[in-house]
Amino acid sequence: MNPVSDLGALGFVLFWGLTALAAGVFLFRGYQLFRLVSLGRRSEKFGQVIKRALTALGHVIIQKCQFKNITREDRGGVGHLFIVWGFLFFVTYYFFFIVIASGFGIPDVMEHNKIYGYYTWVMDFVAPFIVIGTVWGIIRRYIVKPARLKGQQTAEALIILITVLIHPITHVGKIATQIAAGHPPAGLGILTPPLSTAVSHLYTNAATIAKWHSFWFWSHWVFVLIVLGMIAYTRYLHMIAGALNDLLRRTPPKGTPERIDLNDPSSFGVDRVDNFAWKQLLDSVACVVCGYCQEICPATFTGKKLNPRLVIRDIKTNMLKNGPFITKKQAPVLPLIGENQEGSVPMEAIWACTTCGGCMEVCPVYIEHVWEIIDMRRHLVQMQAKFPDELLNLFENTEQRSNPWGIAPADRAKWASGIETKPFEAGKTEYLFYVGCAGAFDARNRHISLAIARILDAGGISWGILGKDELCCGDSLRRLGNEYVFDRIAKDNIKMFQDRGVKKIITECPHCYHTLKNDYHQYGTDWEVIHHAEFIRGLIKEKRLKLNGNGDLGKVLFHDSCYLGRHNGIYDAPREVLARTTSHTPAEMKRRLNRSFCCGAGGGHMWMEESIGKRINHERVEEALKEDPRTICVCCPYCMTMFEDGIKDLKASEKVQVLDLAEIVARALQ
Amino acid sequence: MRKFKPEIILVGATGLGRDLAGAVATDLATGLTADCTGLDIDDRGFLLQTRPAFGGNIMATILTERTRPQMATVRPHVMSLPAKDSSHTGVVIRESPAIDEVDIAVKMLELIDDRKHGQDVDIAAAEVIVSGGRGMMSKENFKILQELADELGGVVGSSRSAVEAGWMPVERQVGQTGKTVRPKIYIACGISGAIQHLVGMQSSDVIIAINRDKQAPIFEVATYGIVGDLFKIVPAVTDRIKELRTKNEQG
Repeated sequence: MNPVSDLGALGFVLFWGLTALAAGVFLFRGYQLFRLVSLGRRSEKFGQVIKRALTALGHVIIQKCQFKNITREDRGGVGHLFIVWGFLFFVTYYFFFIVIASGFGIPDVMEHNKIYGYYTWVMDFVAPFIVIGTVWGIIRRYIVKPARLKGQQTAEALIILITVLIHPITHVGKIATQIAAGHPPAGLGILTPPLSTAVSHLYTNAATIAKWHSFWFWSHWVFVLIVLGMIAYTRYLHMIAGALNDLLRRTPPKGTPERIDLNDPSSFGVDRVDNFAWKQLLDSVACVVCGYCQEICPATFTGKKLNPRLVIRDIKTNMLKNGPFITKKQAPVLPLIGENQEGSVPMEAIWACTTCGGCMEVCPVYIEHVWEIIDMRRHLVQMQAKFPDELLNLFENTEQRSNPWGIAPADRAKWASGIETKPFEAGKTEYLFYVGCAGAFDARNRHISLAIARILDAGGISWGILGKDELCCGDSLRRLGNEYVFDRIAKDNIKMFQDRGVKKIITECPHCYHTLKNDYHQYGTDWEVIHHAEFIRGLIKEKRLKLNGNGDLGKVLFHDSCYLGRHNGIYDAPREVLARTTSHTPAEMKRRLNRSFCCGAGGGHMWMEESIGKRINHERVEEALKEDPRTICVCCPYCMTMFEDGIKDLKASEKVQVLDLAEIVARALQ
Repeated sequence: MRKFKPEIILVGATGLGRDLAGAVATDLATGLTADCTGLDIDDRGFLLQTRPAFGGNIMATILTERTRPQMATVRPHVMSLPAKDSSHTGVVIRESPAIDEVDIAVKMLELIDDRKHGQDVDIAAAEVIVSGGRGMMSKENFKILQELADELGGVVGSSRSAVEAGWMPVERQVGQTGKTVRPKIYIACGISGAIQHLVGMQSSDVIIAINRDKQAPIFEVATYGIVGDLFKIVPAVTDRIKELRTKNEQG
């Protein structure tokens, strides 16, 4: 029985007519979106097409997007797995057993074989999973309403979920009526599809079975086509745009904005949607509004105006609204940076980002929110000189004296005045110890520089420093959008390192680490950069340090620094060092590893006031204090400052101390 | 300038003065040394313009040998006021050149005072600042700093954490993200001296630090340091000054 050919020529006209209509709607909108995304400027080239394609396909099939977000607290992703895996079976079924079989009028060829039998049997088990996943999704979204989906109880989402639900139901109806009519899928003996067989007993009136079969077939196919049309207009689009966004994603280094051409004034930052790179516009199209980013964002969490999801939404709205005008070479009608309207990103939101990278880490479709925010900062700083007042000092000081505080460069080596250090000289010293501004000037962090120096000496390492010639790495400037000055600093540093033959660099600060390693890599450098946590782990592994444990640290709690962890994937090294040094696995906070919570100082926030909402460092310190530690271990000078300040503010200085990993190790040295 | 052809032009390095001096020097195609800390004239009639250079590590003395006039700006308060010397008999010429509106690119429409009504105190201009930090413990305790400041004719400043805690308004904040001050006397009470604070006040002439913790970094920049309980020390100092003043007035 074939509901298409049963209607004669009309059946085929109807089948292919409807299919063409849906495909037409899909392609029309797809082309429109392609045109809009193409308004973006060209950006970095990407290669390795085959590897990328296989990776992206693999990600879709294994649903990496969900697995990275399923946690004990949020199991929503499991429902998504049921639906997607189920649909992979369904889509295959549609292609072979509807489009080819019914569409070409050859169901006898396609269905009278064991493959069809087995396949429909499997589908009988797949269908309930899709129903479970979808019903679960509806209950979660409309009844449980987790924080992540706040305000997302839209009609669009409900329609999508219902259209998902209709597929397995109509499918089972179709197979059940097929069985009731006496045409069970062939050749399986006892392996008749159990669910469909059970349902088939409902159809007892032999006269109407054929009509019912026809009904289920056509309603099924019409819904498939409705979904096809909907894909390009609704959030269903994430199936395609999300996969594309994965396919076309920028290659690491993660957390590093694109290097811009400073000879091209049009690339000094973004204040018009078409100044974004096309990939950034694709990001906005790919967003599925899952809300994982807003849940992990420290700014959103503490009541700032920034919500990474809304930034992406605003870019999309802006593109849809302005796109047609820009295509016609007319001026955009909706400002990209502006207040209180959908489609404009508020200035306050742009400045609230700590560039911790949490949003990018959890985004299932690989959106790079931070890069987009930095591009808008670049415009505000470089084209409009509009930035929080307190940054003026930072910008001037760093530009003129190559440190954030404007301290005399001659004071850079003062931290080492009580110890013996060598200047770095290629051939005579192997490693450059790049101390960084905080390690050189800040009274508290100087202790960490000394601890590192002690460890290096104890490990018999040949190392030297640049002393007063050392310059700022430029991290804060770049993340605050001051690309022009960063570019000069980067070139100065690179020239000095090359002139002096620097090959291996040990850094104290994760921000220096990331900048020297990843940002400077965009300038073609490929020296080895090692953060002290990793370096110390190496020394311990090679048994070059004699550690005797230390008793007075009490319970040690570890805090992941964003630029060590999320941006560079270094999670194990500091934990291993702590375990070896203290003989105990360090205690952990609830938010840890790649889901760690920023201290509040990244992205230039070390130099900015924080007057809206709760202070980020207070939030993090409170979280730490819940674990009742005696010592909090950090690996970053910014984290050190933020934790110590937060602990003082919360009056906990009596019971908890903050130490850098290097200090803990140095204390344990024999 | 072209009328009088002066040998030397000195301008105060105020906001307006800095803008003006640079523009005039450019127009006259002559040199300009900004922010001098010392000025002198040598026997050849050259103006010796001394200012810190290379991050304050050396003092450079700059001469304008080939062009005239010789121009320099000086920041307010960097040179002490000399005693009045009536032997000099210079003449002050007031010149009011007629300025055509067409020559000015900017037109003033309205003067808007950006200070908030009444409560404003410009700590950057104060000669004496008594500053409090987290060690003040509460808003009420700033009263003792106000008393000391009143006695010294100064104002009360604050560290970032005290502003953060809501004890002081943000206009009083000294430091990286607040104001940079260089008063004659800076008294830091209960301020540990995080680098963010130090950079805002370390060029004060005299720094007096009062703190419980003798390891506090504030003592590294302090001219005089007192380790102890500020709640005993500050009132004691205030009382002593009062006492001395009364004595002076009587005597």
